[in-house]
Amino acid sequence: MKMAFDAHSEVSDEALLVAFGNGDREAARALTARLAPRAMGFAARMLGGDRHEAEDVTQEAMLRLWRIAPEWRQGEAKVSTWLYRVTVNLCTDRLRRRRGVGLDTIPEPEDDRPGVAASMMQAARARALDEALAALPERQRVAVVLRHIEGRTNPEIAQVLEISVEAVESLTARGKRALAASLGQRREELGYVED
Amino acid sequence: MSKTERDMLSDTALDEIFTAARAQRPEPSGALMARILVDADDVLAGRDRPAAAMARPSPWARFVDGLGGWGSLAGLVTATAAGVWLGFVSPDRVNTLSGGLLLSDSTGVYALEDILPADDGLAAFYEEGGQ
Repeated sequence: MKMAFDAHSEVSDEALLVAFGNGDREAARALTARLAPRAMGFAARMLGGDRHEAEDVTQEAMLRLWRIAPEWRQGEAKVSTWLYRVTVNLCTDRLRRRRGVGLDTIPEPEDDRPGVAASMMQAARARALDEALAALPERQRVAVVLRHIEGRTNPEIAQVLEISVEAVESLTARGKRALAASLGQRREELGYVED
Repeated sequence: MSKTERDMLSDTALDEIFTAARAQRPEPSGALMARILVDADDVLAGRDRPAAAMARPSPWARFVDGLGGWGSLAGLVTATAAGVWLGFVSPDRVNTLSGGLLLSDSTGVYALEDILPADDGLAAFYEEGGQ
């Protein structure tokens, strides 16, 4: 059964995926609108802010979603969790291929455009965060990005990484501590001056 | 090397940075969204062809594969049919089949040496009642 695009707003990701698996093209549009931004944002953080690579990863992850649709086993996993897991794997592959490449590859912010100081500071903080995240071990990075930027729950992150919730908590705590230490060395540059 | 609390960015400051990062999340471009939908269309349009090549094998096909494929299955079927046939035919027919090697006459019964002609000692043991 075909459903109008607007009618998909209340439909679950899983129902949309099943509908796509049954040939519903509109379901693909709704899923893309919902899930591609998540995969893109997550991949970009994982890949040090490299937008081009993040787009490639997002397209590949979504393609794998389209391919799995006819065989999707309902009730086993959330579609978003599955997509995050695929995205983690694709990012890991790319990070391993470029291992040894330094932080110089992280794109420079567009700092020549006119803008207020606040937005410059926001951009500087975002860039500093990308650099600090890039220095974390991969699994810590996944856990921190999913928890604190993507806003996922610990049980969901546990499913993505296929580890226990306790292990996620440990990864997140260690990751945050490493970030606090790394960014702490740049506190003045980031506008956090001593009182 | 341990960091002192003074070296660390505070939780509050770190949360601010996370919040800024959420606000600056890279969004997929329109071109990327279009490419993703083209992929979806391709998967839908191409389903028949890959489905034929990558279809889940039927239970019968998996059974045959489990036995080692059609070649093994042919051998198994032949051996099974031969066994069933031999089970139903009379000994003289077997004797006919064997060219008279198994039975010395048409009314005879199998003796152990018919099957194991080299083991005369054992045959003698059985003929003596196994005593």
